[in-house]
Amino acid sequence: MKKLIAGAILLGASSMAFAQPGCGVGAMIWKGQSGIAPHVLAATTNGTFGNQTFGMTTGTLGCQTNQSVQSMAMYMDSNIDKVARDMSRGSGENLDTLAVLLGVDEADRDTFRKVLQDNFATIFPSSDTTSGEAVDAIVALLEKNESLSKYVAA
Amino acid sequence: MGNMLRIGPVLIWLAVSLPTQADTPADTSELHLDPAWLTLIHYQPDTFGDGYTSQADDPAFFLSEDGKHSPKSELQATLEAIQKPGEGDDHARCQFPARTTWLQQELNLALPEISCPGYQEWSETLNTETVTLVFAASYLNSPSSMFGHTFLRLDPPQDDEETNLLLANTISYAADAAAHDSELLFAYKGIFGGYPGITTVQPYYEKIRLYSDIEHRDLWEYKLNLTQDEVDLMIAHAWEIRDRNFDYYFFDENCAYRLLALIDIARPGTDLLGEVSTHAIPSDTVRWVVDKDLVSDVYYRPSAATSVAYSLSTLPDDHQTLAAAIATGYVDADSNEVSSLPAEQRAHVLDATYDYVRYKSEADGWPREIAAPLSHDLLRERSQINDVAPPEEPPEPVVRDDEGHDTFRMSLGAGQLEHREFTQLTLRPAYHDILDPPAGYRTGAQLQFLRLDARLYTDNNELQLEQLTGVEIRSLSPRNAFFSPLSWQVGFGGRRTDTGNDRVLTPYLEGGAGGSWSLGHQTQAFAIATADLEIDDDLRRGYDAAPGADIGLLHQNNQFSLLAGAKTKAWIVSSQHRQDQLYAKANWHIGREFSLFAEFTREDHYDRYQSLWHAGIHAYF
Repeated sequence: MKKLIAGAILLGASSMAFAQPGCGVGAMIWKGQSGIAPHVLAATTNGTFGNQTFGMTTGTLGCQTNQSVQSMAMYMDSNIDKVARDMSRGSGENLDTLAVLLGVDEADRDTFRKVLQDNFATIFPSSDTTSGEAVDAIVALLEKNESLSKYVAA
Repeated sequence: MGNMLRIGPVLIWLAVSLPTQADTPADTSELHLDPAWLTLIHYQPDTFGDGYTSQADDPAFFLSEDGKHSPKSELQATLEAIQKPGEGDDHARCQFPARTTWLQQELNLALPEISCPGYQEWSETLNTETVTLVFAASYLNSPSSMFGHTFLRLDPPQDDEETNLLLANTISYAADAAAHDSELLFAYKGIFGGYPGITTVQPYYEKIRLYSDIEHRDLWEYKLNLTQDEVDLMIAHAWEIRDRNFDYYFFDENCAYRLLALIDIARPGTDLLGEVSTHAIPSDTVRWVVDKDLVSDVYYRPSAATSVAYSLSTLPDDHQTLAAAIATGYVDADSNEVSSLPAEQRAHVLDATYDYVRYKSEADGWPREIAAPLSHDLLRERSQINDVAPPEEPPEPVVRDDEGHDTFRMSLGAGQLEHREFTQLTLRPAYHDILDPPAGYRTGAQLQFLRLDARLYTDNNELQLEQLTGVEIRSLSPRNAFFSPLSWQVGFGGRRTDTGNDRVLTPYLEGGAGGSWSLGHQTQAFAIATADLEIDDDLRRGYDAAPGADIGLLHQNNQFSLLAGAKTKAWIVSSQHRQDQLYAKANWHIGREFSLFAEFTREDHYDRYQSLWHAGIHAYF
């Protein structure tokens, strides 16, 4: 099941220019969005105008080999601001999605949420934190935790 | 057995000519006209003649050279192809798994097991147990989004903790417009054809990002009651049309239309496409799906904008002021004013302020240099408060978008203009007028297409075209401390205009922009600066233009709607007269099928006063 989810998320993202998930600098948090352009006709007629909104960057820092971590990195890259929000609140569907992608058991979910909320400032040290840095920080935090380290083992 | 298979088509021919033989496949002579087959190949009856044409615009979708126009030869070609030996992704059975399944059932074909690695991997990855039709509603201050948008979400089995609908995949169909095409070219090609339409698979969280976060559209999720076999057939057909071109047309063969076809295929006999006449408005297609008893559950997912407006409104007044002060930088997120609050209230202020800052960054383009450090401060402070639940979600609207009044309106009324009596018939194919029953529609939004007003003056039995509205869009959205949307309007068409001694039909173009302010529950006051242009050879200089103003009140509730105000226009080119109007319009809603309407206008133009009375009934279909 875990593999299936990882596969699904990679399939979904396959159209994007993303060389090696979990391997890069990733999107900077709160990177300027294109905003809601007054595409009156586009809104009426449901065309797509090529999605400039989901731009991302890649790099080659500390590549992750664990497939679950790769999926998480992929998800973080497109949803980093919402993940950060849920993390600061200690709950929310984006935080649950991270848990699903990492395969965190129901029994460990409370610990998972608490560790991430308590260490928010470690995961996102500044407003320029990138998704890649956040992923690396999360992995480092989970590795140090007795009950959560098994989910990020390489 | 292999031999049997190879001579399959011969057997079928035998079956046609020797119908008494009991154990041969069923009769195929009329099979190509079976509605299920016609739907699978997307055939529609020709407008002229009695043939059929497929809407697929891609030769690779057909196995027969005549496939586009001949259901019969496509059926024969398919039958031959699926019974050929061999296997692998290029085999017809692997390319067309839905056709294969259907033919197998209809004809009791015994086909050997073969492997289709590509299709198998695809369907296993999609891992679909149920299908949900998702409707992206219109958003405030964008009446042009009123038509909505639909796509399908493929939901995995929901039996374990790893189920997560954000990761579910979606199928949508859209015009593949080149990014550099201008909007005008986009509109032209969209209406007259020219864009390929493609089917795309994307995770749901990307759809949420686009519709809910960036476009501020609430999402309605209609879980369909399809069985596993029906779902499998739909997925199989989605595989057949994936990467296949179907030309995209905004009004009929659009995003919603292709999804209806997929549902028709999943459950033969549903015939949702039969409901489509000239246009397929996504919100109407949702009604059809609900009417055909295809929906088991409905869920509401408010957009980021809806959520933030709601969580700000639930804050007490002094906390709203504090939130605004933090957002604008007057108060720091870690200042005494904030940290002195009890934990729960502090969390609510920080949550609402963060969501508001994100909203302003998306919607109003707040620069990152300001928004990002502020966002970071807010989240860092928030992360220090444990065990406070996130903000409450906005309540689900009592009336869903598909439960509002129907969009085609016919009106019959009688009135009096300057002591001349008339009866008037109005036809409006789409969509919603500011005075129509508001339930299920956005407050203060109006979008009308191709409205025709015809008048019969009873004194001399003169029939006149009073007005033909091409498009009329109006958006009145109230401003407050947090949101400052522009209220605006635009319209064009042909209308009667007073030249001083006659009322002549002239083409017109009008627009306006201004503000609106809420005066308490369901009432708003607006002030709009307007501009009008009329072009006609009956006007002294061939055209006339008028800057003007429109100031009024709007009240909308489920029993009645009221619009009253004053308009002034200064015609400055030809007539050089001011036109002042006082107007009042009221609609009394009787359920969602009917409204009684009445309007009164008093006008001062060319130094004379005249009055218009008009009253009657609207019926919605």
